[in-house]
Amino acid sequence: MSNKAILLGNEAIARGIVEAGCEVAAAYPGTPSSEILPSIAKWADDLGTRTIVEWGANEKVAFEMAAAASFAGKRSCAVMKQVGLNVAADPFMSVSHFDIKGGFLLVAADDPGPHSSQTEQDSRFFAMFAKIPCFDPATAVEAKEMVFDAYDLSERHKIVTMLRPGVRVDHCRQDVELKDVIEISRPASFEKDPRRWVCLPASVRVNHPQLNAKREAIREEFETRFSRYNYEVPAKKKARLGVIAGGVSFSIVMDILKAWGADDISVLKIGTPHPLPLKMVEDFISRHDNVVVLEETYPVIEMQLNDRTKIKGRWNGWVPGAGELLPELIEEILCRVLGKEVPEGASAELKKAAEDLNITPRPPMLCPGCPHRASFFSIRQTLPKAIYPSDIGCYTLGVNQGMVDAVVDMGASITLASGLFMAYKADGKEQPIVATIGDSTFFHMGLPGLASAVYNKHIFVLVILDNSLTAMTGGQSHPGIGDKLRKGETGRRVDLEGAVKGCGVNWVKTTEAYDISTSRTLVKEAWEHAKAHEEPAVVIFRHPCMLLRQKQAVIPVTVDPEKCIGCKFCINFFNCPGLVFDEKSKKAYIDERFCVKCGVCINVCPHGAILATEGEEA
Amino acid sequence: MQYVIVGIGGQGILFTSRVLGHIALSRGERVVGSEVHGMAQRGGSVISHFKVGDYSSPMVKAKDADVLLAFDQNEAVRNLHFLKQGGHAIINTHDPAFIENPSLRKWMSDHGVTVHTVMGYDILKREMGGRFLFLNVLILGAMCGAGVGNVTIEEVREAVKVLAPAKFVEDNVKAVDLGYAGASR
Ligand SMILES: Cc1ncc(C[n+]2csc(CCOP(=O)(O)OP(=O)(O)O)c2C)c(N)n1
Repeated sequence: MSNKAILLGNEAIARGIVEAGCEVAAAYPGTPSSEILPSIAKWADDLGTRTIVEWGANEKVAFEMAAAASFAGKRSCAVMKQVGLNVAADPFMSVSHFDIKGGFLLVAADDPGPHSSQTEQDSRFFAMFAKIPCFDPATAVEAKEMVFDAYDLSERHKIVTMLRPGVRVDHCRQDVELKDVIEISRPASFEKDPRRWVCLPASVRVNHPQLNAKREAIREEFETRFSRYNYEVPAKKKARLGVIAGGVSFSIVMDILKAWGADDISVLKIGTPHPLPLKMVEDFISRHDNVVVLEETYPVIEMQLNDRTKIKGRWNGWVPGAGELLPELIEEILCRVLGKEVPEGASAELKKAAEDLNITPRPPMLCPGCPHRASFFSIRQTLPKAIYPSDIGCYTLGVNQGMVDAVVDMGASITLASGLFMAYKADGKEQPIVATIGDSTFFHMGLPGLASAVYNKHIFVLVILDNSLTAMTGGQSHPGIGDKLRKGETGRRVDLEGAVKGCGVNWVKTTEAYDISTSRTLVKEAWEHAKAHEEPAVVIFRHPCMLLRQKQAVIPVTVDPEKCIGCKFCINFFNCPGLVFDEKSKKAYIDERFCVKCGVCINVCPHGAILATEGEEA
Repeated sequence: MQYVIVGIGGQGILFTSRVLGHIALSRGERVVGSEVHGMAQRGGSVISHFKVGDYSSPMVKAKDADVLLAFDQNEAVRNLHFLKQGGHAIINTHDPAFIENPSLRKWMSDHGVTVHTVMGYDILKREMGGRFLFLNVLILGAMCGAGVGNVTIEEVREAVKVLAPAKFVEDNVKAVDLGYAGASR
């Protein structure tokens, strides 16, 4: 069987993983990697494999599950976004030293730009740090091919192997060849061998030199046996410029050179940036006087070179040290290094038109009807003087409502609340603090912080924004929901209230997020309790995410222009795409293109100008 | 053929490139494109690139696009620079007066760019009970109505029939036809 389909890069990677005979796959969602695990489940079902596919509560959990499956001899994979690897860094570093058994693929998806991340870090650097091999695909088609080689390499050298797709590979759509599954019949068999599976310091003394040896053996292979990923596209005439490019930057360069009709530029494609096939790269450099290196986002190829004097790259400022290498930017860099005229940038007329028409980029916003908006409104109205550490999820967009004062990484809302409490306590001052965290994030990394806060008697209110979904990344389940990844495969729901109590919290109450008046009462009570008993108090705000499209009351609303005084309170404190301020009439109005008729804003206007229209419409 | 599709997260713009992809594949052509997932999907500006032919990079470079499909007129103005000399923009508009802006007019005539507008919101409100989610196929109909984009209305209808969920096929086809009839040429 052989046929073609248009797939998302992530679907292509997933297809490769299933075709390559992976039997255990684990992940925690994170853009741009999130579609991979659900696609693995889909392909496995289509192709009739028995692949076990599960979400871990966080990336460390997922990595360790997949690692152990490899110890037992199965082909396995762990999938995460780049910052997920920070969370999984501990097992990643350990397991990199191991002589693993079944092929173990780590997919770490990078996000140059960034489009949906808190950093622009380069996972290839992490591969270098751990001394493991890394594949850097330029297209979805290549990403799928690389999966097979990564498994093969991983098994032959008994080493964790990384596939590092960037966001433009993950989220590209391309026609991809579908193949059949490689039949691997390999029953699970964990062979007890403490020297192999226990990371005692004594083992490291053996494993570390062995890891160095593996790396050099793999480098040798990358020099000679991987010409499908590392190759030169020679210039037709004598080359004026040599371009060394990896990842999607290579694809962009090729399209530009084609459009130019350039015949005097040669390109060296590097698909295995670590360990770098040094001889191949140095040979290319020796044959060119003018060389530019294009890679995202850190100078990983550049840094492995012994001699950079001929190189135009990040080390000498020819390539910007931050941001995505977009096609326009790559064209500009190529023009500069060639001494050609740089094409003119944004047109002055279009800029002027955008200014005249008052057009600015539209920032992301909480969806109309989103329960988080109502929750933030209630909290701010109750404790306006509080500090609001928050966390990572859709609710980070509460920054538009003045409700997100500090965000660091997943789970830090709780530990930041602790630290802020300690800072004010040092002065003997009372400072209201309300931390907000999502349900998925709470299970990801909220639990240890909460146990620590209870133990240390920290006074603050923790609000868990429970929309029964991991919404930001597209709607995955998690331990607090119970449904498993595959449709119809049920897990067991971990009770959120119970988990909170299990961390030692004495005061935990739940409110319907749309119910502003009850929510306000509970936030106030929680703060009073926290102060009186010197402990964190928890309020769970619950209402299903709009992405779940659950049935709820439909309450059409309108703004009464007689009552609206144009104070913009609703705009500033509620910040809904469905509520807009008309600069001409100086009144708010409902934009029906966006309003979902949740009716919450009726209770927001202090002048009673937002009214239900049900009666009138009937 | 290079398309750029722009709009606001939540408008369902990803479906539009899926339709274009389906058509290209059934013609035996190669495709590559780029989508936005994640944070920006929450009501922010979103952009899809889609290329049919012998390309390797998923992104359209500024001044290279043949067609700009805009679900929102503001997003259209912000992304017109993707169009090549002589390109076409199909713009869903709620307030067509914007097109009279003198700087915009000058840029359009300097660059030989043609703008085709369609009052998608009005049409969907009038004809389909305000179900604005059908904008994504309406705009494809409008593209065919404007006679650009290198696909026929029949191809769009057929692709939509295959790709849309069964119970919405009729509505989708209706929206395609409404767009076809409603586009300015
Ligand atoms: C370490 C790490 N892993 C994954 C992500 C991607 N990510 C961003 S928000 C989020 C979860 C959001 O879920 P939840 O806390 O329930 O909030 P919601 O978006 O549903 O409001 C994830 C997984 C990340 N930013 N960091």
